[in-house]
Amino acid sequence: MIFNFSMKTFEFSLNTGRSQARKRLGRFGRLRGGRFYDWIVWAALVSSIWRAAPSSAGLTSDENLAPPATSSFEGSSFDIFDFEGPKMKDLYYVIMRDMDAQLLAMSTGKLDVLSDLYRPADVERLARSGAAELSLASTFHGFFITFNVREFPWDQVTLRQAASQVVDRRRWTRDLFSGYCEPLASFLPPISPYYDPLETAGPPGVGSSNVDLSNAGLSSVEAARKRLADAGWTWDLAGWLVAPDGRPAPLTKILCPPSSVAATTTEIAQLMAEALLSLGVPAEAEPIDFQTMLARVDAHDFDACTNAWTMSRDPDVLYSFYHSSMDVAGGYNLSGISDPELDRVLRDLRYAPDEATARVMASRAQRLLSELSPVIPLYSRYSISATRNDWDGVFTTDRSTSDNMMTLVSMTPKDGKERPIYWNIPEEIRTLNPLVSSTAYDWTVLGTIYDTLISVNPYTFEDMPWLAESWSIEPGDAGSVLTFTLRPGLKWQDGRPLTAEDVAFSLRYIKDNNVPRFYDSVKDVESIEVAEDRRTLRVFMGNTSYWHLHNIGGMLVLPQHILETVSDWRTWQPTNRPHEALDGTVLTELIGTGPFTFRESRTGEYVHMTRNEHYMLLRPQNSKGSKETEETKEARP
Amino acid sequence: MNALIKRVAGSLVVLVVVLVLNFFLFRVMPGDPLTGVMDPRFSPEAKQQLAVQWGLDKPLTEQFLVYIREMLSFRFGLSMMTGIPVWDELKSRVPNTVALLLPALLLSAALGLWLGVKAALKRGSKVERLVLLSGAVSFSFPSFFVQLLLLLCFAYVWPIFPLRGTSSIPPPEGPAALLDYLWHLTLPLFSLVILSFGGWALYIRNMMVKALGEDYVLMARARGLPHRRVVWNHAFRSILPPVLTIFLLSLPGVVSGAVITETVFSLHGAGRFLLEATNSHDYPSAGAAFFLLALLTVFCNLLADLIYVLVDPRVRRESAR
Amino acid sequence: MTRYLSIFCLVFLALLALLGPTPLGLKDGPQAPPYSKPDWLDRSIASTVILRVSSDGGSSSEASPEASSTAALTWNYVAPLRVALTGRLDGGALRWTTPEGEFSLADASGSAALDLDARDIPFKRSLGIKPFDNMPSVLFPSRGEYRLSLLGSGDVAMKIEGGRWGWLGTDQRGRDVATLFVRGIRISLIVGITATLIATLLGLSLGLVSGYAGGFTDALIMRTVDVLLSIPTLPILMVLAGIWGKGLWNLVLILSIFSWMGTARTVRALTLTLRDAPWVDGLRALGAKRNYILFRHLVPEALPLLLANVALGVPGAILAEAGLAFLGLSDPRLPSWGRMLHEAHTFGSFTNGAWWTILPPGLGISLICLIFMDVGRKLEERADPRLKQEIN
Repeated sequence: MIFNFSMKTFEFSLNTGRSQARKRLGRFGRLRGGRFYDWIVWAALVSSIWRAAPSSAGLTSDENLAPPATSSFEGSSFDIFDFEGPKMKDLYYVIMRDMDAQLLAMSTGKLDVLSDLYRPADVERLARSGAAELSLASTFHGFFITFNVREFPWDQVTLRQAASQVVDRRRWTRDLFSGYCEPLASFLPPISPYYDPLETAGPPGVGSSNVDLSNAGLSSVEAARKRLADAGWTWDLAGWLVAPDGRPAPLTKILCPPSSVAATTTEIAQLMAEALLSLGVPAEAEPIDFQTMLARVDAHDFDACTNAWTMSRDPDVLYSFYHSSMDVAGGYNLSGISDPELDRVLRDLRYAPDEATARVMASRAQRLLSELSPVIPLYSRYSISATRNDWDGVFTTDRSTSDNMMTLVSMTPKDGKERPIYWNIPEEIRTLNPLVSSTAYDWTVLGTIYDTLISVNPYTFEDMPWLAESWSIEPGDAGSVLTFTLRPGLKWQDGRPLTAEDVAFSLRYIKDNNVPRFYDSVKDVESIEVAEDRRTLRVFMGNTSYWHLHNIGGMLVLPQHILETVSDWRTWQPTNRPHEALDGTVLTELIGTGPFTFRESRTGEYVHMTRNEHYMLLRPQNSKGSKETEETKEARP
Repeated sequence: MNALIKRVAGSLVVLVVVLVLNFFLFRVMPGDPLTGVMDPRFSPEAKQQLAVQWGLDKPLTEQFLVYIREMLSFRFGLSMMTGIPVWDELKSRVPNTVALLLPALLLSAALGLWLGVKAALKRGSKVERLVLLSGAVSFSFPSFFVQLLLLLCFAYVWPIFPLRGTSSIPPPEGPAALLDYLWHLTLPLFSLVILSFGGWALYIRNMMVKALGEDYVLMARARGLPHRRVVWNHAFRSILPPVLTIFLLSLPGVVSGAVITETVFSLHGAGRFLLEATNSHDYPSAGAAFFLLALLTVFCNLLADLIYVLVDPRVRRESAR
Repeated sequence: MTRYLSIFCLVFLALLALLGPTPLGLKDGPQAPPYSKPDWLDRSIASTVILRVSSDGGSSSEASPEASSTAALTWNYVAPLRVALTGRLDGGALRWTTPEGEFSLADASGSAALDLDARDIPFKRSLGIKPFDNMPSVLFPSRGEYRLSLLGSGDVAMKIEGGRWGWLGTDQRGRDVATLFVRGIRISLIVGITATLIATLLGLSLGLVSGYAGGFTDALIMRTVDVLLSIPTLPILMVLAGIWGKGLWNLVLILSIFSWMGTARTVRALTLTLRDAPWVDGLRALGAKRNYILFRHLVPEALPLLLANVALGVPGAILAEAGLAFLGLSDPRLPSWGRMLHEAHTFGSFTNGAWWTILPPGLGISLICLIFMDVGRKLEERADPRLKQEIN
């Protein structure tokens, strides 16, 4: 999946689509009038299940589950300059909404890369057919049941813990997704670099770690009822739960979007209601229109609801979800959890000066959250993608499926004949204005055009040089000071040189215009300095936070010479405005530094792109003579 | 003449009502475009910037004035989903929908008319059986079911038609592009025609059978008028007003019903635009789509009324009064 | 006899709808592996088998480190759809011997509950199977003798489900398609009949009033009709479903509110042409009251048309419900046929060749619509004998 290994703001860039759009459900996504699969918010970055769920295999021995020995080695030695490409001249992003059509096209060769397979039957069928190679990885997606903790009975922490305990995640994911989903019992997904299995264990049995899953479902109901009884809860004659102060538990309605948004969500809500009934809590699932649901949640007019998030590599999303200051209109603290200690820890996490502090605070936050249980994590999606067998150079790691930037750059047909790559986009492209566009489908295209300063290592999730060859973050007088040094000789797709001035201009432009899409990333930027050599850039932030590095390093870099001509960024349609490259070719104003250059878009049909001959991974002199160079190299010693 | 002016005035009233209704309907719906933004990357402050970008921070009265101005000027404003003028959005989609629906409607109506009249004339014949059967089919088979089966048969098991869309990728050059386009539209068109001609045929047959039994038709026959003339000048003419009414009234419904066809065949059309705009609370886009459809409906109604005036002397006499 | 075939069918379906699936012995909820074929279709598929190994049963269990309990199985079928292990292991191991090799299914150092399923990806990984491989076909590579042995103590059951179930197989969630089919009849009938009745009555009365009264009343009703017709149906159904909810009766209400206009207009058109007919003028001259003329003469005159409307309306409403459900806009808890088709389409029955999840609801909708068409035509002919085929 994604893999413009960048950060924060740009995280979903090259990614396949379902993620973003599902996340933006209401506004952008979910329009899939005809296709209403799960409300899947696919994660941006992906990871292996080896690390993800080591103990959830029941009683299997550890040897069987050891991660492949090579992975860490490969990861540390990973260098993007081992790749050379793009190898192919033409790339077509084919818009194909219907899942069945996608599969048929895959088997007839009308599609080469297909992302976000999620119907178990399709996965098995494609695997059996042998036409395509499949890859699977864990994601940052998380599906939760959120309680309204502002009101009785869900303001009672014991009840929330008990509810968390009766959930049989394994059986649910098995039955609903045929196992193509990972039970999730933690507040950061297990693939997160900041996931702490020990700290998230929480009180015994609350099942915040995957370790407990192997025992789930056998006596969990008794254990949960005992937990309630120990805390003074009782049951009336009809078997309904009564709080220690004598108040009976009222009916809990679990709001969930209808199947047009999420095919399985209603069933999960029903399973959850059954689980609550087993505790003696009256409960039922209530499927309602997605917008209505969000509006009600926003107005705090709900008992419980289902919701899904795609989290990111950085754990500071926890601040957005669980800090009391985010319990405002439009905020994401849906449950309304407010705990002074949690607030303090989350604040320290968000404004951590360095990575070490961040790690400590992330662990503490996870421990507190598993005690408070404001939400019940249920499952996390795997990302599954397929690439046709007649291609070489398909790149996968144990954290990334095949539909990534490296694959795009290095794939070549096995028969050696030049032909276009057909890459699926499952929803229509809405706009290719990078300042406005918000759906992952758009960003699949934009991600092949625009680059960022720093990217993410696909093996380790560590920072990786991209447009910037080196960087640093230091505490300054007012706040963090970031320094980036660009690679030498970078060029835009139109042949003009890329300098630190472009980066500075992009940051200033986005900040000055309050572009909503990137507002949070640049709002703390105080000033920017460009050094004489026009390769080094210093960004002064207004406050201290380690995450500024990822915010700014993950910001997309736009060409100054084009942005200067834009009169209104809101209505800018770069694809409609011709722009002449240095060599005289007529391109459009959609000019970046990525491996492919935009040529033509036919709405609802396809987007045509051609190889960027100035791409940094393309050694210009040896597009023809790479063999010669190797030969001369060998000849020399 | 007076009556005509009255009708036009009435239509204008309808348009105004729809226009106002459109504005408030979407605002009465729970949630607004911002509620749908559920993304930790958009903090509440960033969402506020989005509201500014979309003009949602202004008071409702001002929004209403802007809305009316944009609608009446046919610019429709900027889509919230894309930032592109809604008019441009529509320009790319409406031709596909029209290219599919208009031929489908005309073909099925013409076929239905021909078969329906024939069936009414030859009661108990094979033609009548065919009409009854096809009518039954068109009123009882879910369109998506038939379309999916067709797709499965003719695009997968026996792949003579494309699976999706309106063009090959990459598209052929020159006149071949047109052929390519037609080739892509064949299956959806075919499915629409076989799904709907039966309805027309059955309807016209029923009307026609009745008309042929009317006294004045019998009278005309008795007078020894030629068969053709009796059928077409007397009987058929009498059923023409209701038939035309139904035809014109079905137009807007067909457009908004196109969403299923567009879904099954992955077409980039106006039906899906309507659905998506509504779903995502994209006020300008949904407003424009609703308004245009209302305009189409009102226009068709007006036309239907006019036709009544033209072909039915009794209504004409009434109007003249 | 054939004359009344459709009536018999209708009565039969109504009975089924009334009784529901229970008297037929059909059960709700997941019954068998997803996409199990109908029972009668393929005899090379096994039905469900349960193997049980337990140390409690065997006397030698504590004494011997060898297999404390073994269960054998002769397999003469194609690979099953689903394999699951449940139970308890107290420091033992579980071995699966196939004609082509041996698997160590589980190994426990301490006492632990066992809950493994061939669908679990970690379980696949632990046996060295790729996540996309079908584990049951790896565990059952060929026909022959199989053995499940328990080393150490414990109590384990292995459930092997072949993938054959019921009259109509199962859907993507393993629910009995026959159950869902029978449940769907009720929804289709209720939606179709009530929505059409309400709509027709509304359309008839408003159309008559409008056409006969004329003037301001006419203008008001017709402008309402125009406004309602000018709002695109499908999106407005979505909007209303969003505001009111998507329950069965909400759906009926929404459907009828947006489907009376056509009837009203046609009735009005008819009334208009009749209003000035000489015989109506004559009646008026004779001093007939307006209401009398309306209900004694115009209603019977409009009746054939109305029956046609009902005949076409019931299928229309059923199809509308199916369309909404197909687009995923109906209440997911309503087990309607449209919903079954939606799920079949959504979960890939078409490409997986699971025709038993597609044809029953698709043909069911068609059948019930055909029945109504036929009944409607019969009524129509009774009201207007000219339409009868026999009379020419």
